[in-house]
Amino acid sequence: MMAKLEFHDPSGALEVTQPHAPRLASLEGKRIGFVSNEQWQAFRMLPMLKEMLEEDFPGIEVLPVDAFPQGNALIGTEETAALVKQSGVDGVIVANAA
Amino acid sequence: MKNAVAGLGLAPDAAMVTFPIDMFLPGSDLAPLKARKREFYNGLTRWQPDFTRSAAGVNPMLAVEGASYEDALVKANNLLLTNLWGDGLPLWPATRERMDWIIRGTVLPRTHVLGKFPPRGGITTVETCAIALAMAGGRPEYLPVLIAAVEACFDPTTNFEQLQAASGGAFPVIIVNGPIAKQIRLNSGFGCLGPDPQRPAGAGIGRALRLLQQNVGGALPGIGTMANYGGMRYTNVVFAEDEEGLPPGWASHAAERHGFAPDANAVSLVFANGMTNIRRRGAKKETPEEDTVNGLWRIADFMRTPNLAGLNGWEQGTPGILMFPRVVAQTMAGLGWSKAKIREFLWENSKIPMAQMKRAGGPAWIEIDANPVTRASLELDPWPITMKPDNIVLIVAGGSHPTNSYWLQGYSPRVIGREIRVPEAFDRLLADADRDLGCGSDACMI
Repeated sequence: MMAKLEFHDPSGALEVTQPHAPRLASLEGKRIGFVSNEQWQAFRMLPMLKEMLEEDFPGIEVLPVDAFPQGNALIGTEETAALVKQSGVDGVIVANAA
Repeated sequence: MKNAVAGLGLAPDAAMVTFPIDMFLPGSDLAPLKARKREFYNGLTRWQPDFTRSAAGVNPMLAVEGASYEDALVKANNLLLTNLWGDGLPLWPATRERMDWIIRGTVLPRTHVLGKFPPRGGITTVETCAIALAMAGGRPEYLPVLIAAVEACFDPTTNFEQLQAASGGAFPVIIVNGPIAKQIRLNSGFGCLGPDPQRPAGAGIGRALRLLQQNVGGALPGIGTMANYGGMRYTNVVFAEDEEGLPPGWASHAAERHGFAPDANAVSLVFANGMTNIRRRGAKKETPEEDTVNGLWRIADFMRTPNLAGLNGWEQGTPGILMFPRVVAQTMAGLGWSKAKIREFLWENSKIPMAQMKRAGGPAWIEIDANPVTRASLELDPWPITMKPDNIVLIVAGGSHPTNSYWLQGYSPRVIGREIRVPEAFDRLLADADRDLGCGSDACMI
């Protein structure tokens, strides 16, 4: 006779409270920004990513890495979020190294 | 990263491109960035979430079958471990029967939500705590302490989200005051920071808290927590203050730091990330006065190190917990040393000359601290390791032997107190414990 053990999943439920933004149909002709915590090699990587985007997608505008406030203390603030919205970007790449 | 986005309420499978640490080092090869550029592009254009689990607050059931109970138990442990819900030691699966037993230890409804465990953001109910306690080998009379400890962790001033994830490897220290400590067999004496078969409560409560940190909070080594070493993370640290050993005039920690009534059951949460024994006693013919002062100097000299561990709690937290055994506390008190006088001595004599701080590169860490009060402390020379003497946590605990004191190095923005609430039928749970574990805690005293 088989022995059966039933027991609780211990991981706790997750709740999605922040819906994700709609994805873009294409990156061509779009405006993209960076929000960076400015840690580690961000000053090398993000300009390289900007260059790649500009090479691969005609008409794309990628804002400079420092277009928005940088650093752990600033990137999560409501003020930064408001600046991003006001800038009219179509999409944002969040760079977070820890 | 999945933890971080889930903790913010985003889908845990949000579009991410992650790289190992190598690419983040100075002078690194950035070729991997170029090789994976399509992942960035797809994240902006094609990604859709797969996450479907709802937040009903229900903890679903899992099942295994084996040729025998022992075989099923092995399979259950394997399943827990392969789902990254174990710590490598044997676990008790949280069956319905075990859960019904454990849950008797609380006054709160099973579905009562205590909060979201950071950084992953797992919803933590009373039932979630009971599951962890069941898995850890705990008993129902431990549950009130565990729930109070979790409530303390969730205090918004703890900076728990960062402490869970940071490389410094903070671990919770739960100091218990009140009659509940002895009632549930929580150690305050010899070996109180380690295993004790006569007083096993600390291991069960601490392990359960750690399982919550990992399973619900997502603090997996190298993924959800970047703790370099992860010391004390099997059981954290849970012990009781030796209240019976407090000298006359010395208030308990819960009363002194948190203002609880002297007989209140309470936990006090401190985060620490190091611990060391300090040989305190003299070796020859010192007078009691010399023995006391020499010992205090030895402790102050140890505290006077520019490793900046206490920076996190410089203003309102603590640089650490200093533990004296009752025999030492009583001798010192008899010589006129109050808790305040001891703290003042240690605070004054653990200040670090700024030249020493500069030699060790310390000022740079102070300059970038988020707290402006801490940043302003750069003006001080010598630099006090904490803003005021009262920040030092002084506890009477440990075996009644005069040689050693113990220093738990603080990494704690605040010290948080919470009252422990027990159910009406708590006496019955304690009677059950006497039945199950043999003699009562008094009879078991060494």
